[in-house]
Order: sequence, then structure tokens, then C-alpha cells
Amino acid sequence: MKFPRPPIGTPHMIVYILKRLAIAIPTLLLLIIFSFLLMHAAPGGPFTQERELPAQVLANLNAKYGLDQPLWKQIVSYIWGIVAHFDFGPSFVYKDRTVNEIIAQGFPVTLTYGFVSFLVAVVAGVTLGAVAAVKHNTIIDYFAVGVSIGAQVLPNFVMAPILVIVFTLILGWLPGGGWRFSDPSYWIMPVIALSTSYMASIARIMRSSMLEVLNSNHIRTARAKGLPAHRVILRHALKPALLPVISYLGPAFVSMITGSVIVDIYFSTGGIGKAFVDSALNRDYAVMMGVTILVGALTILFNLVVDIVYGWIDPKIRY
Amino acid sequence: MALLDVKDLSVRFDTPEGDIHAVNGVSFSLEKGETLGIVGESGSGKSQLNFALLGLLAKNGHTTGQALFDGQDLLSISERKLNQIRANRIAMVFQDPMTSLNPYMRISDQMAEVLMLHKGLSKRAAIAESVAMLDAVKIPDAKTRVRLYPHEFSGGMRQRVMIAMSLLCHPEVLIADEPTTALDVTVQAQIMELLAELQREFGMATILITHDLGVVAGFCERAIVMYGGRIMEKAPVDPLFEAPTHPYTRGLLDAIPRVDEDQESLHAIPGNPPNMTGAPKGCPFAPRCALADDRCRVETPALMEFAEGRARACFRPIEEVAA
Repeated sequence: MKFPRPPIGTPHMIVYILKRLAIAIPTLLLLIIFSFLLMHAAPGGPFTQERELPAQVLANLNAKYGLDQPLWKQIVSYIWGIVAHFDFGPSFVYKDRTVNEIIAQGFPVTLTYGFVSFLVAVVAGVTLGAVAAVKHNTIIDYFAVGVSIGAQVLPNFVMAPILVIVFTLILGWLPGGGWRFSDPSYWIMPVIALSTSYMASIARIMRSSMLEVLNSNHIRTARAKGLPAHRVILRHALKPALLPVISYLGPAFVSMITGSVIVDIYFSTGGIGKAFVDSALNRDYAVMMGVTILVGALTILFNLVVDIVYGWIDPKIRY
Repeated sequence: MALLDVKDLSVRFDTPEGDIHAVNGVSFSLEKGETLGIVGESGSGKSQLNFALLGLLAKNGHTTGQALFDGQDLLSISERKLNQIRANRIAMVFQDPMTSLNPYMRISDQMAEVLMLHKGLSKRAAIAESVAMLDAVKIPDAKTRVRLYPHEFSGGMRQRVMIAMSLLCHPEVLIADEPTTALDVTVQAQIMELLAELQREFGMATILITHDLGVVAGFCERAIVMYGGRIMEKAPVDPLFEAPTHPYTRGLLDAIPRVDEDQESLHAIPGNPPNMTGAPKGCPFAPRCALADDRCRVETPALMEFAEGRARACFRPIEEVAA
């Protein structure tokens, strides 16, 4: 006979998590090597300017930042710097700042508005999708589908200026840009601009998976038990309907908390979304690598989180 | 008075391809404690008929007619009133035990919620009662296993769980919708034994939906033969099997392979079950019936009593054509 699944927090689960984290190390190494090579394969460099620098100056700069070394040596010393000192190097462009400083300054901002956007997108998206499915083929369903299509097709570079015009210029309710941790009125527009399209995707996934679950046999069983409709939905349908949403949420969460260049530019929030794009434009190798590694590590981490949540919801998944 | 009295029940589904008339004017009654078999091929409307009784049709399904249970018409009472009857007084066992239990909930939670809802038991008491019922359906080590999830049971065991769950409130009517179709042959026999035994023990009336005539012969007192959403023949089981009078019933009986005869090939009824889209016209079985004449194709025969307790819907019954 079989025995009950070991509950969350048992040694099985801890071993599983440790294994996944161990696999993450070679994955990150590969990520670093590939991005490093790609970055250097692109023509130009951090010191390429319209007016060419004198050869001696360029050579000195290259020597200072180690760019005169063979590529493999650069990679090894870069990785060594991270492993030994958690040092992602100095910025190639902002002479007095390190990558760690740039990320430490920008990441808390994107983390804040990204996390709030995530909560908004999940709560609104799941609710909208679930209600649409339950009221399938009614006015409510059409309305919900309309809202989510609208939110999906309205790009945030269109929405951001509209928000500024309405809430700042016309109504004067919200500050048009900048960032203060202590004042959530600065958060509102970035959150709206960032969360709507994610909210729409979540609503669409939720609606279709909820429709499928509502047509499944075990829901008919639940109805045959005499449970009132809301109990059937909340107790029996919600959990399985959430599974496809959850697998979408892992990567979505990462891209939300690492920010959006559109949001950072329109609302001057100073997050790392803008820092990342600037680094690519400026060939600021170190910042580019730093943000890439941050996004990569977060992606690995939250895919693991998704798998753990899956196992918590679906008893058929064992570790 | 009959426990359940179904009068002229029809089920229609709206689909983009047109209306599907799944059940057409079916009437029957169920007495206290009796076992009624409903036989028919896939698509004969036998499952939809019973889903209609408990309001479990898909959203595009519509019913007309009456189904009187204890003075209430199941087809027209409010959802709230129907919920007090579902599982509590009329319970259902579904065809596919693999998918009919909630895969994301422990058996204990799935069973206990029925008793907590209808009998107002505490969770602890409800689980204790559930364990007792699992014992009654002969699930070994029920006390431990009640904590398991459905996927940790075999198909036969899951159907036992399903049956135990349906019996929790000691319903007056049990509707078993092909309870053994999804199971191995050896397990089928065990489940049928179990059902028969439980029925004697609890004294409930049972509607047994099946396409297996052997099961009907073994377990039912009366049977209804359905085809194309209509009742073709309705009779006590013994005369039905000894002297079928409807060509369709005869065809079903002939299709049973026999081991005591040297048989070259299986006898199948030629043709396919009817397409139920559009308004029905003529006897639904006419296109496949060897005895059908022109009248059968145009006019729909009504269900008429022709002997004590026996009725059929046929213009050209076997014994009349033969005579």
C-alpha cells in the first residue's frame, strides 16, 4: 500500500531544493559565459566615441579595465571577482560607481513598484478571469474579455503619457514623475502602467483554465453533492484552475520586479530597467553583465518557487 | 405513490450546429427499494436523462417535462431546494472514477464535506462517519487511507470511494451511471456485488444505467431500453430477456457473444446510432431496423402498454411481424 505524500518541509523536499540550487550554479556560469561572449562579439566597446580617442589613451583605458587581456582571462577574473568578493566590477561609463552600487540604488525601486504591480495584476487578473469563466457567455464575460483585450493591446508607452496627462496635468492628483519610498502616490502610475498587460494575460489564462475545470467531471461530482455554487467554485475549481496561471507567474514576477525601461523613463523612477538599457547603449559591459546575472538568478529562483507551489497544490507531484 | 415519477421528460442542447434532442418524452416511475435498469448504446440519452434529474446538465442543456420526487418537481424547483436533495436524498455514482473525484483534495475532505453540509456534523464526526462508510464498501485500512488523495487508489478502489461517498447520507434513490464501465472485468463483478449488497442493506431505490444487458439481467427487477433519446421498451427483466418484442431489444440481445454456441462472427446491429441534431421524425431505430416499413420512417410510435407491466414503442413488433 502507498503512504501519504510527505508534507511540505520534509527532508525529501529540502533535498529537492538543494539539488535544484546546485543545478543553478552551472546554469548561471553558462549564462555568464554566453552573455560575456555575445557582448564582446558585438562591434564597438565602452570607449568607442565619435571622435576617436588617441591610441595611447585607449590602450591605457583598456589596460585599466582589463580589456587588453585575452577574453578567457577576462571571463575567469570576472567570475572570480564575483565568487571571491561578490564584486561585479566598476561601471565602465560612470567612473566613480560600481555595478553593485548601481544595482543597489535602482533595484529597490523596481522591486517596490514591480512587486506592487505583481500583486495588483494577480488579484485583478485572477478575479477577472474567474468571474468571466463562471459567467461564461454573459454580458459580464464579454465585459471582462473586453477589458483584458483592451489592457493587453494598449502598450505601456501609450498608457504612461496618457496617465501623466490625466492624473498629473489635468487632475493634478499625482506627481508626474520621480520616486519616493515614503510616498506611495509616486508608485501609483508606475504600477498601473506596468501591471495592466500582465493583468490581462493572467485574466485570459485564468478564464480559459477555469472554463476547462468547470466542465470537468469532478466539478459535476461537487455539484451533485449539493454544494452551493460559490463553494463549488472556491473549494473545488479554484485550485486546479490556478495551476496554469502559476506557471506563468514565475517568469512574469521576475520581469516585473526587474522593472520596465518604459516606466523608468516616463516616470523618472530611477529603476534598473533604465540602467540596463542605458548600459547596453553605452556598452557598459559591467552593468550589462550585472543586470543580466541578476535577472538570470531571479528567473532560476522563481522557477523553483513555481515548482514548489505546484507541488503544494497538486498532490500528484512528489519530490 | 411512486418514489420518483418522471413524466414526458425531454432534454435539448443548443449547439452552434443546431439543437440536439438528447432525450425525447421519456416517462417512467421508480418504486421504493426497487432496482430499475436503463439500457442503451452510447448516445442513447440515458446519462443525460439522469443528469437532468439532478440538474447536472451542461449549461446549454434545457429540460421540459416533470420529475416528481416527494411532491416536488426536480426540474423546476430552485437551485437551493435542489441542493438539499442532491447527495442527501438522491445520490449519484458516476461512470469514470478516475476523473469524478477531485484530484486535489484528500478523500477525507471530499467525503466529510457532504456530511457537514447535509447533516451538520463537525469535521471530526464527519470523517469518522466517512471511515465507517469506507469500511462498509470494503476498503481495507480505511482509517489510514481516508487521508489519501484519489490518485493513490486503483480504479476499483476509487469507484468504491465514489460509492461510499454517495451513500453517506443514506439517500432514498441512488443513480449509478455505468458504475463499472471504466473498470476491469474482474473488478466490475466485485463492484456490482457490492452495490447489490449495499442496496439490500440500505433499502434504497436504484437506477442502474448501463449498456451491459448481463448486468441488468443480474441486478434489476425492471428495465427500460432506450434508443435515440426515446424509450423503446419497458418491462420486467424476465420477460424482456425471454421474449423481447421490440426489434431493437432483440438486436441488443443478439449482439451478446455467447460461449455455448459455435459462433463464426459477432452479431452487430448494422448502422450507427442516430444523429440527434434537428427535430426527430419517425422511429429513431427505423434506419437500422430489419422489420421497419414506410410508416416507421415517417411516424413516431408511442410507448404503449401491450401486456401487464410491459410497454413498447413499435409499429412492427417481432411477434406480430412473424405471425
